Amino acid sequence: MKLRPAEIKAFERMRPGVITIQGFLGNDIRPPEEIIAEDEAEFARLGLDFETIASGLEKLRAAGERGLGEPISLGKFLVQTGDARGMLPCPYNDGLYHKNAVSVRAADQPFESCVEGEDMLVFSDLSIHLLRVHHFCQGRGSPFRLEPELLKKMAVSE
Amino acid sequence: MSPILVGPLTVAGISTFLALVIAILDKFLNNYGQLKISINGGKKELTVKGGSALLGTLGAEGIFVPSACGGRGSCGACKCKVITDVGPHLPTEMPYMSPRDIEDNIRLACQIKVRKDLAIELPEELFSIKKFQTRVESIKDLTYDIKEILLSIDGQTIEFQAGQYVQLVVPPYGEMPESVQRAYSMSSRPGDAKHVELLIRLVPGGIATTWVHKFLKEGDTVEVVGPFGEFRIHDTPASMICVAGGSGMAPFKSMLNHMHETGAFPEKEIWYFFGARTTKDMFYLDEMAALSASWPRFHFVPALSEPKPEENWKGEVGLITDVLDRYLQGNVDRAKGLEGYLCGSPGMINACINVMKRNGLTEDKIYFDKFA
Repeated sequence: MKLRPAEIKAFERMRPGVITIQGFLGNDIRPPEEIIAEDEAEFARLGLDFETIASGLEKLRAAGERGLGEPISLGKFLVQTGDARGMLPCPYNDGLYHKNAVSVRAADQPFESCVEGEDMLVFSDLSIHLLRVHHFCQGRGSPFRLEPELLKKMAVSE
Repeated sequence: MSPILVGPLTVAGISTFLALVIAILDKFLNNYGQLKISINGGKKELTVKGGSALLGTLGAEGIFVPSACGGRGSCGACKCKVITDVGPHLPTEMPYMSPRDIEDNIRLACQIKVRKDLAIELPEELFSIKKFQTRVESIKDLTYDIKEILLSIDGQTIEFQAGQYVQLVVPPYGEMPESVQRAYSMSSRPGDAKHVELLIRLVPGGIATTWVHKFLKEGDTVEVVGPFGEFRIHDTPASMICVAGGSGMAPFKSMLNHMHETGAFPEKEIWYFFGARTTKDMFYLDEMAALSASWPRFHFVPALSEPKPEENWKGEVGLITDVLDRYLQGNVDRAKGLEGYLCGSPGMINACINVMKRNGLTEDKIYFDKFA
C-alpha cells in the first residue's frame, strides 16, 4: 500500500515519545496502515460502523460525566469519566483534544479483576476522534486500544 | 569482495559519513555556549548552557516550574513570562494561551529554547521549591482503587501549607521509556515535615497511577518535587464549605488535621461533604467520625450516590452536589459568611461552583486547584 505523505507523518507521530510517552501503537508489530485495514475488516465482520460506535462512546462519556468523577451506573455497566490537565493533538494534525480517560466495565465484575482492553473499555476524546475520522483503534497493547469485540459489547448495547 | 555486498556496504558507508557530518554540524551550529537567564529583574541570575528548553534548563539549576507532561507542550502547566523577544508564539503553545497571555508575553517554558540571554519572570514561591529523595514507608489500600502512600524524606524536611501539592517523579518502568511527573495533593500534616502522604486513585490507562498501584513497593526510593499550589485555608472567620470525592480527600485530610492539631483559624466552622458511589468507594469514615466527635466546629457529611440496600447506609444519599445544595439551604449557618473549598475533577468542581453560587457564595470566595 502506498502511503500519502500526511499518513507517513501521522504514523511517525504515533510512536512513543512524540505526542504521548506511550504512543499509540502499543506493542503491536503491525504497521499502522495494517492495523487500520484489519480493524476496518473486523468492524465489517461484526456489522459495526465507525460513526455509530463513536457516537456510542460519546454517550458513555457523557453518562460518566454525570458521576462527577465517581463511577456511575448505566444499565449493566459502570462508567467513570476522569480528566487530566491539558490537551493532546491528533497524530494526523487535525485537532486538539482534552486529555481525559473514560472507563466502562460490567457493573457485576469487581474492578480488581478487570483487564483494560479485555473486559474494561478505556478511551479518551482523542480515541473517539481517531476512531470516527481515521478508523484507527490504536495498536494492541496501547492503553487506549479499542478492541472491536469490546466496542460491540459496550458501545452498542447502551 | 562479493558484488552482492558492494551495494549495501556503500550505502552503509555513505549513511555513516552523513551522520558524522550532521553530528559535527550540530555540535558547532547548535552550540549556543554559556548564556544568562535573569529572573524577576535580576533577583536571580543564572549562567546556563544554551540550546535546551527553558523548562529543563531551569530544572537543572534547581528551579522547578510545574509540568505534568514531560515537556511535550500538552499540559500547559509551565507558563512563565518571557520579557526577552524570543519570537512569536508557537502553534504548540497557542491552545493554552488566552489573548491576555499573549499580550503579556506568557510562554510555555517547555517550548521555548534558550538560544540567547533571557529575562523572565517567575512566581517567587518557585524559588523555594525543592526536589526531595524519599523512601516508601507504607502503602495502604483505602478502597479497591485508592491507595495511601506514606513517603519518608531522607535527610531533609519539607515546609508547606495544608492544601498544597507535590509532583511525584515516576521513573521509567515496564514499557515506559522515560520519567514523567504528576501532581498529587499532600494529605499529610504540615507539622510532620519528615513525611509526605499522598492518596492516589488508579486511573485506567494512567501512567503514574498504574506505576503507583502495580509497581511501587514499600522500601522503594521515590523523588518528589514541591510544594506547589495556591489552594490553602484563608485566614477569615467565614465558614469553610469543603467538597471532595475519591482521592480529592487528600488536601482536606491535611487541612483538617492541621487545624485540629494546632487550633489554627479558631473562628472557622467547617463543613466537609464527601461523595462516593457505594460503601466500597468510601474511606476514612471512622477517622472523620472520631474527628467530628472531638471537635464541635467540624461537621462531616459523607454521601453515597448509589448505595445498595444490603449496605444499610444510614448517611446522606444522592450526588454530592444535591446533598450540598440541601445543606446550604437548610443546615449551614451563614452568620460569619461562607467560603467554598473544592478538590476533584473539573466536572465536579464546576457543578459545585454552580450550586454554591446559586446559594449565595461569590466566585471569588470559592477556592480550588485546577489539576485538569
